[in-house]
Amino acid sequence: MFAVFALITLLGAVLMLLQKNVIQAGLCLALSFIGVAGLFVLLGNPVAGALQIIVYAGAILILVLFVIMLLNHHEEEAAEKARPVQRWASVALTALLGAGAIALVLSSPGLKALNAGATAAVPMTLERVGETLFSDHLLAVEAIGLMLLAAMVAAVTLVKKEL
Amino acid sequence: MSPLLSGALQGYIAVALLLFIIGLATVLLRRTLLMQFMGVELMLNAANVALLAFARWRGGDVEATIFYLMIIAVAACEAAVGLALVIGLHRMRGTTDADRTATLKQ
Repeated sequence: MFAVFALITLLGAVLMLLQKNVIQAGLCLALSFIGVAGLFVLLGNPVAGALQIIVYAGAILILVLFVIMLLNHHEEEAAEKARPVQRWASVALTALLGAGAIALVLSSPGLKALNAGATAAVPMTLERVGETLFSDHLLAVEAIGLMLLAAMVAAVTLVKKEL
Repeated sequence: MSPLLSGALQGYIAVALLLFIIGLATVLLRRTLLMQFMGVELMLNAANVALLAFARWRGGDVEATIFYLMIIAVAACEAAVGLALVIGLHRMRGTTDADRTATLKQ
């Protein structure tokens, strides 16, 4: 089951990277986010899985798609000038990083020890999250609410016509 | 069976790292600002996968889910302000190409 959702996640991300049409790339990103939600459910955390679908796939991504359609820029513009060195350097860097990451994960003794010494996970429930959130982290909740409000005001100010 | 495919901790960390690298590649290789923005979202998501995977192997730590909630709120703020900036840029210059917007003055 893990392999299925990991495949959905990585396939959606790679398709997003390769897609020419920006709207189709956004839809591929939605596929990737849904795969990540599946991984969260497999981790015994259905709260995070539901939040992932509601907030990422449901709100943030729809906002991005909305802006793409509003600006009417469905295709990537032609390059101002070709930059082959930078492009090949980026490809080489990401390939190197990817190979290094896999090698590091497979050879890491710390991860192996952590994986072997796993305790049975208590499933995450909304009740546990809510209790901790509103007892230990009340100030953080207020601060984050204030920050969301400030961000919304900033966004409205930025898109006003007469700035 | 390889630990990368059987749902062990290593598999989740590998997925998180690869997701981060694909997001980084999107930011480096694509020129459209909206595509680069989606790459940044993907990198944020990769961090979330690693965080919640480690939390599961600590016995279902509830603090990690709180942290995840905060990251989601920051991502929502970032999306709102970032997209507003892209719209403002498109209104002033008529482009969303990162190469064409390399100067600060008109």
